[in-house]
Amino acid sequence: MKITVLQSTIIDAPIDRVWAVLRDFNSHGQWHPTVAGSRMENDVAGDVVGGVRRFSLSDGSDLREQLLSHNDREYTLTYCILDSPLPLYDYTTTIRLKPVTDADQTFWSWRSQFRAPHDRAAELENLVSRQVYEAGFRGLRTFLADQAAPARPPVPEMEATSLAAAAGGEHLPSRAVVAATAGGPEVMALSDVTVPAPGPEQVRIRQTAIAVNYIDLKHRRGIAAGFDFPVTPGMEGVGEIIDVGQRVNGLFPGDRVAYMNREPGAYADIRCVDADACIPLPAGVSDHDAATLLKGVTAAMLLSRVFRAAPGATILIQSVAGGVGHLLSQWAKSMDLIVMGTVSTAEKARFVRDRGCDHPIVVAEDSRLAADVMRITNGRGVDYWVHTSGARGLDTALACLSRCGHCAVIGDRDEQSIPIDLKVLKQRSLTVSAPVFFDYIDDRTYLQRLAHQLFTKIQNRTIIPAIEAFPLSQATEAHQRIESRRNMGAVVLSPGL
Amino acid sequence: MVKVYQSTVLNAPADRVWRDLRDFNGLANWHPLIVLSRIEKDHPADKVGCVRNFQLKDGARVREKLLSLSDFDYTCTSAILDGPMDLSDHFATLRLFPVTEGNRCFIEWSAEFECPPEKAAALTEAVGEGMIQTGLAALKKRYG
Repeated sequence: MKITVLQSTIIDAPIDRVWAVLRDFNSHGQWHPTVAGSRMENDVAGDVVGGVRRFSLSDGSDLREQLLSHNDREYTLTYCILDSPLPLYDYTTTIRLKPVTDADQTFWSWRSQFRAPHDRAAELENLVSRQVYEAGFRGLRTFLADQAAPARPPVPEMEATSLAAAAGGEHLPSRAVVAATAGGPEVMALSDVTVPAPGPEQVRIRQTAIAVNYIDLKHRRGIAAGFDFPVTPGMEGVGEIIDVGQRVNGLFPGDRVAYMNREPGAYADIRCVDADACIPLPAGVSDHDAATLLKGVTAAMLLSRVFRAAPGATILIQSVAGGVGHLLSQWAKSMDLIVMGTVSTAEKARFVRDRGCDHPIVVAEDSRLAADVMRITNGRGVDYWVHTSGARGLDTALACLSRCGHCAVIGDRDEQSIPIDLKVLKQRSLTVSAPVFFDYIDDRTYLQRLAHQLFTKIQNRTIIPAIEAFPLSQATEAHQRIESRRNMGAVVLSPGL
Repeated sequence: MVKVYQSTVLNAPADRVWRDLRDFNGLANWHPLIVLSRIEKDHPADKVGCVRNFQLKDGARVREKLLSLSDFDYTCTSAILDGPMDLSDHFATLRLFPVTEGNRCFIEWSAEFECPPEKAAALTEAVGEGMIQTGLAALKKRYG
């Protein structure tokens, strides 16, 4: 529901005095009663259009607002809310001053438009009018009166905290896993390195959890193109920001973040990554759980974009006990899909049964997978098939699909070419796709939405990630564990262990 | 170009004041310097493009054209077509803004025009103080 709020007043001071305070986008901390503190991100001045201020409100929450226009000639400011604890959507507001020429007074209007949920519209309209605007009028009056009173000491300036100064921008000692040449897990060894200060658009992170993804194994083997040895593997990590580059917006030292990066280098205590790759973590999601970000959003991407899965449909997940598999089965179950999955042992079957998989199927050598699938689906076949074994077993997959069924080939282990006969697909309108995750997340908003969904599901225990943690020094063992297919759930390196 | 700007605070809600000000033919009701006003060709007073023809206290006649009228943001703009003053391209704006705190309104009245440089000071005085400020002072009195 769209809401317009207009509040205006007359301030008993000349316009130049009022404007001198209001024109500083960072001044609210000094005079607004509900703003406990204000600071500009990246230490920009308070009249830089595009600048972002971050309020700490007196109730402890945070608010980020961006300056959209600043006009000293017309005495106007426009800004919008970027992040708010309240459901104030598309909130933009204009502050306008006008001189009252027959008295030394100033007309001040504060006008905003925003959308709010219907059931909270009245409450939010009231809050914006009273606690933000009217309280602001009173606050500025008091502030100006205090300023004018000569006996009182001057109001102290907000201390500009230099954020990057915390670590002094120095090189920091760290440990990193280095694969000297392409080869087996044993080519990786831990060595001492130093990590330079972050570039202008980077952040430096002290990592607490590093995801081991299947693509890391490919990098180490030298299969993936474009990586020179020696290399530090790893595309994904979680940790606390140490310091940020000059042009970084919205991230601060001390923030907990998860990131996914096309550039390897995650297997380390400390590393620099592009700020764009970072996603801030909500409370209630542990560092280890957050290290399933790539696997979790892959699961979400498969269900929502690749399959566009509908409740009641059937899905078969190969390697359902693996990193992606066990998250995918829980996510699918939360969408009311009927979940089947293949596992290699009875122990894994028990493991996945607790994680959303209705029908674990233990596959031994040349088993009767197709027969089992047909029995479970009453001969109809399965709607979606997540295929992880490349060319091997693809015939079975296609044979098990229902009419208009869809098989997505992911995590291809051997990168062999896979011949597909269109005639076979055409017989029953089948789809075979080969989604590569990074192609789907160039749209950053989409990634953030998926990440938000994942973290919400982890917070409310709809999804419980299973984590096998190894110390950073045991990257070799971690890779061996995955290559021997013994892992259940996600494998994580933990520098703190 | 010469610009004149005057403003004040009126002790009545914007809606109440606007009821009086939106009448383009109502100037004589509240402005002390204006004695008689009519709209030419019997047009309604809120028809954009209509011309008001009014007489000043000193007998001079002025013709002004209504250029815009907005009930939405309480704005009226007009231009002088003929008048006794030695100015051209005269263009005036009258606007109200609600002052929600205290249920009052803020009124601004501005004008811009061209004139010979040596007459700028005198005309600024005549328009700014004579016409506009006298009008605002009368409104201020009218609404207490």
